[in-house]
Amino acid sequence: MTNLLAKLKGLFRRRRQAPLTEAQEEKLFTDFQARYHDFRLLLAANNRALETMASLEAAAAGDRVFGMSFVRARCTALAASVYNMAKHLDSLAPAPYPALFQRFKDIQAQIDLALQKGRPPVDGQMVVELGQVDKLWADRVGGKMANLGEVVNRLGLPAPPGFVITAAACGRFFEHNQLQAEIDRRIQSATLERIDQLFALSSYLQQLIVGAEVPADLAQEVQAAYRRLEQRTRPGVTVSLRSSALGEDEAETSFAGQYRSQLNVRPEHILESFKEVVASKYTPQAMHYRYERGLRDSDIIMCVGCLAMVQAASGGVVYTQNPVDQMDREVRITSAWGLPKGVVDGDAPADLFVVSRGEPPQVVQRQIAHKGARFDCFPAEGVCRLEATGDQADQPSLSDSQALALAGLALKLEEHYGAPQDVEWALDHQGRLLILQTRYLRRVAPPKEAAAAQTPAGALAGGGAGVSPGVACGPVFWVKKDSDALRFPEGAVLAVDEPWPRWAALLGRAAALVAQKGTVAGHLATVAREYGLPAIFGLGAAAEALVDGQVVTVDADRAAVFPGRDEQILLRSRPKRALMKGSPVHQTLLGVLRFITPLNLLDPDSPEFAAASCQTLHDITRFCHEKSVQEMFAFGKEHHFPQRSSKQLFYEVPMQYWIINLDDGFKEEVSGRYVRLEDIACQPLLALWRGMVAVPWEGPPAMSGKGFASVLFQATANPALATPFKTAMANRNYFMISKSFLNLQSRFGFHFASVEAMAGERPAENYLSFSFVGGAADAERKSARARFIGDIIGELGFVVELRGDTLRARVEGRPAQDILRLLEVVGYLLMHTRQLDMIMADPASVQHYRQKIKSDLAALEAA
Amino acid sequence: METGGTEKIRVLVVDDERDFAAPLVRRLKLRGLETLSASSGAQALDMLAERPMDVVILDVRMPGMDGIQAIKEIKARHPLLEVIMLTGHADLEASLQGMEQGAFDYLLKPADIDDLVYKVQDAFRKKELQQKKIAALKKVRQEQG
Repeated sequence: MTNLLAKLKGLFRRRRQAPLTEAQEEKLFTDFQARYHDFRLLLAANNRALETMASLEAAAAGDRVFGMSFVRARCTALAASVYNMAKHLDSLAPAPYPALFQRFKDIQAQIDLALQKGRPPVDGQMVVELGQVDKLWADRVGGKMANLGEVVNRLGLPAPPGFVITAAACGRFFEHNQLQAEIDRRIQSATLERIDQLFALSSYLQQLIVGAEVPADLAQEVQAAYRRLEQRTRPGVTVSLRSSALGEDEAETSFAGQYRSQLNVRPEHILESFKEVVASKYTPQAMHYRYERGLRDSDIIMCVGCLAMVQAASGGVVYTQNPVDQMDREVRITSAWGLPKGVVDGDAPADLFVVSRGEPPQVVQRQIAHKGARFDCFPAEGVCRLEATGDQADQPSLSDSQALALAGLALKLEEHYGAPQDVEWALDHQGRLLILQTRYLRRVAPPKEAAAAQTPAGALAGGGAGVSPGVACGPVFWVKKDSDALRFPEGAVLAVDEPWPRWAALLGRAAALVAQKGTVAGHLATVAREYGLPAIFGLGAAAEALVDGQVVTVDADRAAVFPGRDEQILLRSRPKRALMKGSPVHQTLLGVLRFITPLNLLDPDSPEFAAASCQTLHDITRFCHEKSVQEMFAFGKEHHFPQRSSKQLFYEVPMQYWIINLDDGFKEEVSGRYVRLEDIACQPLLALWRGMVAVPWEGPPAMSGKGFASVLFQATANPALATPFKTAMANRNYFMISKSFLNLQSRFGFHFASVEAMAGERPAENYLSFSFVGGAADAERKSARARFIGDIIGELGFVVELRGDTLRARVEGRPAQDILRLLEVVGYLLMHTRQLDMIMADPASVQHYRQKIKSDLAALEAA
Repeated sequence: METGGTEKIRVLVVDDERDFAAPLVRRLKLRGLETLSASSGAQALDMLAERPMDVVILDVRMPGMDGIQAIKEIKARHPLLEVIMLTGHADLEASLQGMEQGAFDYLLKPADIDDLVYKVQDAFRKKELQQKKIAALKKVRQEQG
């Protein structure tokens, strides 16, 4: 080793013999500055890259909601930072790294591919008769129409005749108007968490679609299909247009009330209505729902069912089981006069019939509501809400025999699908029952406490129905119109009069939901259950006791609202469902992370540590950082330039520390062999030094004979304990400095430490990273020492990563004075934790040193 | 020294949206930067042919010559000039393309003024050092005859 050192010294001396001309010196000096500038920019890009990767990894945990916009934006920002690092490395290194850019390109292509994965475009017929469709058609006509076709064609149950405008048609419509690119652009620019932006974007996108042109070939096919429908029904028959989206049935998503239906549409307006239904992919509630459930925009393609309009005497919803009590399997029919619209929208009072599954089935419960209004078809077009006349309002909207027949139909559907069903139905004026829609019914665990027959004592409001169980607390916020919705605060209790599907756009932010009207069968109730959001509907006038801003505890298990924060009730709160996990957006993120975060380049001395071996963007950042430090070091060594050659630190006596000044690390140029501490302008170095000398080192801890034997064994078994730099830096401590930058590669005995810090005037670019490897004791005690140090600095706000005996720690984005403070701590730890691995097997000693370090650090802090 | 001041830095802001460009120019001037503006890539090229500048701040999404094309042209005619791109969330991919064409870096719109000034300082220093290097090299060559 001395031989090598002598050789190196010789190298330095020989080179120093040739004096530089003034011009040569100036050129070299400028080269140094330019290289340092690139180095500094590389370090800043490294900082940004590490931060971006950390935010992607945090999102991958899956307990926070994020959309594709987040994933795309972060991936692009990361790529830009990594590209910048490669570019700066290329300009500071004397020889280029061509393989690096090739690897970057390849990795980037894989990330792009993973980001673009989505639903493939659908080809085939643009219009298909409902009579040809069954559930196998779900990927062409959407789940809703595929189910309805199955009902008619496989089960032979009654449904209105009609046809479906398919996913291929929607694709054709979008392509004809080049809509998708503009939609993607707008979504990427918006912050969907912001309600105002969500509403504005929703309105813009819907207008964009409604204003687009239906291509002539599609228009002709729709008209031809309508004429065939006329022939099967009657001339001029009006139709209902219903959304049926691809992607609805996946991931157990309900999509209740997300999209628009157009009822009683005249033939000349079918194409206009088609566009409106397609546009409803971008209602605020649908966009919010996709965001909350981690669905990508491309996961959903709209198809539109076009069915002969049913003139309904009464209509509503059947749940084949109780959605809020898994123990209760009785059939529940919600029914009102006229069209089922009032029931599914959730705002109309309705009758409830409960039918048992016994042999024979029986109507076991009958709650007849006062049904003050009904929805009916206008004679010309559209539907209207009519005041109920005479005593009809209080009459049952179904007879018992009709209720039993309906329950029978619904149970056939349940049997066929092998799962509880949510069925929308109508009874026409000829007394025929028709199925309009059937889908999987989500059920939730029963309330943890039985619902009270009467409002519990102490409640502010009660008497409604718990439509989604659970408990929660928050301030009341009434939403009666869109402008209220814009101001809805995170974590509030959403209070509404009518539970319109539109308010679903707020459920991701709400703690709980209470409504004056509505029943368990409404769309908003379904979405609340899906989100696991406690909800009470039908509170009526009792809800008026709730005032804006008042903190309340909502107990949906007992269908009551209590004043203040009631900890006793809140003991029953359930963990919120993690909706992101497993969602397409989450899967996409995990897919791209495979090309981003894994670190394969671990050992800088291994031949594998090469540009061509980079598999991920993390590898590239690691490679660029390591190589840039090495290049900066090597440049100083290779040039015979007295001002920039390494200087030995002189602090009372010559120290075993060598200093390379990268730019402005000295107060003035130093040409001799030594640099004195007082000549150093590098604030990070001075801070680290203060920590190193603050408390005199007590020397190696007293150790048992075994401890010493272990040290000797390690020393002989592994004489070449690796430093970050194998050659010239071995056995020495090297500082590379500028005024605000420090990189230290050091070896204290068998311990290898590296410290790197930037403490300048731009907080966002500041950081301190610290790694500590090795030791002389056995692997177990070395690892114990790494954990011991990790614990101490973890408490100081460092992000700590431990792998065996290697400790890596990092803080970033702090003002300079914070970084300097922490450098003092690191300096102290460098001095005082060496050889502590010796005593790691002895708990009493560990405790002693822990105490001593804590009190020393407290003294340092106070100094 | 490391991060520099703002004196002497000549900046050209290229953006077709007057509403965005005017306040930006004003704020950069307040920070001591000598700032001009152009409303298109073509106008920017004309101005650069007339007078030397140090740093161009360029909106990547403009009608006519798009930002990427503009960077290509600028770097071809003025290789030492540094270009900082401003991109919207929707045009992030363009930022990478622009850097491959030699842009210095990019910032997301609306950019924080401090971040923008930092970037301008870094870009300016890069240009300045590049010029110094060329001058020093010339001198060495002269010396060697």
